[in-house]
Amino acid sequence: MDHAVGAGTVRGFDEATWQELSGAWGEPPWLRKRRQEAWEHFRSLPLPAPTEEAWRRTPPEKLAWDGLQPLVARGAADAGDALQAAASLLPDRLAAVVIRNGAGVRAEGVEALTPRGVVFCDLRTAAREHPELLEPFLFRAGLRPEENVFTAQHVAFTTGGAFLHVPAGVEVDRPLLVVDWLAGEGFLAPHTLVVLERGSRATLVQLRSGRASGPALVNAGVELVVAEGAQLRFVQLQDLPDQARSFGVVRAQVGRDATVHTLVASFGASLEKLFVESWLDAPGGSSEMLGAFFARDGQHYDVHTLQEHRAPHTTSDLLYKVALLDSARSVFAGLIRVHPGAQKTNAFQSNRNLLLSGQARADSKPELEIMANDLRCTHGSAVSRLEEQHLFYLQTRGLTRQQAVHMIVEGFFSEVLDRLPVEGVRFWLEARVARTMGAPAPLGRLAALRGLLEEVTARP
Amino acid sequence: MATNPLGIDLDHYKWGFRKPENYVFKSRKGLSREVVEEISYLKGEPEWMRAFRLHSLEVFLSKPMPTWGPDLSSIHFDDIYYYIKPTDRQARSWDELPPEIKDTYERLGIPEAERKFLAGVGAQYESEVVYHSLKEEWEKLGVIFVDTDTAVREYPELVQEYFGTVVPPEDNKFAALNSAVWSGGSFIYVPAGVRVDIPLQAYFRINAENVGQFERTLIIVEPGAYVHYVEGCTAPIYTTDSLHSAVVEIIVKEGARCRYTTIQNWSKNVYNLVTKRAVAYRDATMEWVDGNLGSKITMKYPSVYMVEPGAKAEILSVAFAGAGQHQDPGGKVIHAAPHTQSSIVSKSISKDGGRAGYRGLVKVYKGARGSKCAVRCDALILDDRSRSDTYPTMEIDEEDVQVTHEATVSKVSDEQLFYLMSRGIREDEAMNMIVRGFIEPIAKELPLEYAVELNRLIALEMEGSVG
Repeated sequence: MDHAVGAGTVRGFDEATWQELSGAWGEPPWLRKRRQEAWEHFRSLPLPAPTEEAWRRTPPEKLAWDGLQPLVARGAADAGDALQAAASLLPDRLAAVVIRNGAGVRAEGVEALTPRGVVFCDLRTAAREHPELLEPFLFRAGLRPEENVFTAQHVAFTTGGAFLHVPAGVEVDRPLLVVDWLAGEGFLAPHTLVVLERGSRATLVQLRSGRASGPALVNAGVELVVAEGAQLRFVQLQDLPDQARSFGVVRAQVGRDATVHTLVASFGASLEKLFVESWLDAPGGSSEMLGAFFARDGQHYDVHTLQEHRAPHTTSDLLYKVALLDSARSVFAGLIRVHPGAQKTNAFQSNRNLLLSGQARADSKPELEIMANDLRCTHGSAVSRLEEQHLFYLQTRGLTRQQAVHMIVEGFFSEVLDRLPVEGVRFWLEARVARTMGAPAPLGRLAALRGLLEEVTARP
Repeated sequence: MATNPLGIDLDHYKWGFRKPENYVFKSRKGLSREVVEEISYLKGEPEWMRAFRLHSLEVFLSKPMPTWGPDLSSIHFDDIYYYIKPTDRQARSWDELPPEIKDTYERLGIPEAERKFLAGVGAQYESEVVYHSLKEEWEKLGVIFVDTDTAVREYPELVQEYFGTVVPPEDNKFAALNSAVWSGGSFIYVPAGVRVDIPLQAYFRINAENVGQFERTLIIVEPGAYVHYVEGCTAPIYTTDSLHSAVVEIIVKEGARCRYTTIQNWSKNVYNLVTKRAVAYRDATMEWVDGNLGSKITMKYPSVYMVEPGAKAEILSVAFAGAGQHQDPGGKVIHAAPHTQSSIVSKSISKDGGRAGYRGLVKVYKGARGSKCAVRCDALILDDRSRSDTYPTMEIDEEDVQVTHEATVSKVSDEQLFYLMSRGIREDEAMNMIVRGFIEPIAKELPLEYAVELNRLIALEMEGSVG
């Protein structure tokens, strides 16, 4: 049965609430202590001022939690919706963990991983069964409670999440899936921790979705720890219901000669404030950061990215694409920071925004802070609209105007999708783009139209 | 209630402090209502200007310091002379000048008399003959080119109509400060259809207040007219004043064109915090050419508000930061009407621990359809202790637009150096050539003598950058 903590009594974000969450987890003392510390920060930190540069375009009050209560699920009843969402995504996966309102409701295929020492489970189970694997990293590796009131809230009131640990040298060749499901209304703070030991390799795809019966706030955190020579591909698909608002941090720590690929794609939630960061702390680290955002109606996306080069011979390459319909609004604020001594850095950043309506609005702030000199660093940003010429060309080939627009949107996102070698995710993304377009199916799947699409997108 | 065109409530000041007639001004540090009243009194200003100053002072006091950008925490507003009567100006002796300034004058080949003026040693430097023949020509055309204090006295209607309309005191803390204590600066009025072929230079309009801490410049270009104004000069201006905060307002009317060129080379103790803004009407063109070599900190974002269809804006910015310098220049283009076009090109160079970059805004309002904007920022970092920042912001509320931004940061490539050196060019000269090539797109837009001086200056700054 699902219920809010302290159901029946209206209880806010107070001490008793996090203690009850902590108790429900049966978590070790060190974790309880981390919640306690975060709680102290949460209590003392104010909401960021709306005049702060990072919050000027999304007033922090829009993420207020007044009247909401943390969700805690006990038992796996009624998990059918979450399981169904997991069933259709990523058919070639090796294993899947399904989480509903923070609690693990299914772990499938994980037994195949156990003999190789891979731990893949929900976070509550991990806290009970593998605390020694969590302790060095959880709320330490990337996300820190003292950063702001939202990260403090996330840590103090973490409701559940997923954990992946791959031992040194182990290569997990097929993708792993996490479905993080929101049901009902209230506050959810899912946390994902991925630790790849030296020379290991894995792909993790995470779908955040759900069905809301009322207002919901999701405060999510993702910590990716990638040790020397390891390779991680992480995909986050945000498809939350319209009643949900979302705050999120995705932070990757990239070790020596390690490689991290992230793809963050958002379609859902009425409002999303997201921070995606790659910290390149050791020589030879490399990070590819891809983003695809497609908003409509009054949706509001505000995305900050950081390419933090703290060591020499590091590489980062970012491509974020945003398409907006109706009166949707987006903000992209991307920073490349190259620290003193981080010589031989290569850093690239590209943000492309496509406005599909006269009411849509896109802001772009691509920023550079460069404190080393022997490097290559470029960024580019563009805001453009549909080209009538392209539409006309497609219409002369027999497409309706709506189909022509759809095709151009597919072409726009294909630059991101083509860089993702996970077919199941590409299919999901194409279908999701079609849904936002109000179309029955992706156009690009029709072989006859593929060539046409390429013809159009190849035109300058 | 009596109000003036600036919307300031005069009654509010009716019971204000009045100066006794026999007041003797003594320069003193710090800012207060009395200091502002004294400035206005000594200049014999009309009531509206006095009210404007006092209103601005209140705005200044109520505004917080900027929370972004370079560190301004060591500006002490109480430790600054806000006004010094021209006759009280301390005549400095040539020997007091720091040797590096003297050396620079020497090597730039600046004439003796001019050097003294620049260094604040001579009271005035006047190239009388040139100035007068040019002046006659302008006057025949109906062009007004005087210092702003004179303009307030001689052309009060014109000044009152436009003063403070482009940069109101409420705009920012330093614009408010300037509005309260301004002194000097240029006033230019170009009648409809008049083309002023020779650039107007502050240089020609010489008087003791030519170079001031709180200059106020107002330029009005009537329909179809053209003017090129050149502010300052490339030679280093030596001053002991620590804060320079100017305001420049430009109105470019239908079909007119205005170009404003500055090469700023303040001595390296100066905080240079300047508000420059132009309004461009139908089919008008505004061009800012802005070079920043001197000062300790420069924050300067010349902007163009394109308020009627067909208006155009061009901003060229070059910045060079050496040891202890933080150059934070940039530009803003505001597309508030359909079919407006803008372009920003920024080149910055940092060296010896200096910090240079670009900060800018592209804003396209809803309805500004068919507008185009391209921003290009390039940075060159010459050693591993220096820093480059790029902070562009794009706010696009209109679908039918093309906005692009591109930036690159790099070092002088070994291939380029090697190539030049293989042709027998010494390494330092090769480095010099590469840097000159880097800023060429902007240098070529300068009047010849300025371009030459800019290149010489860069060469001076570049000395010792190789081995």
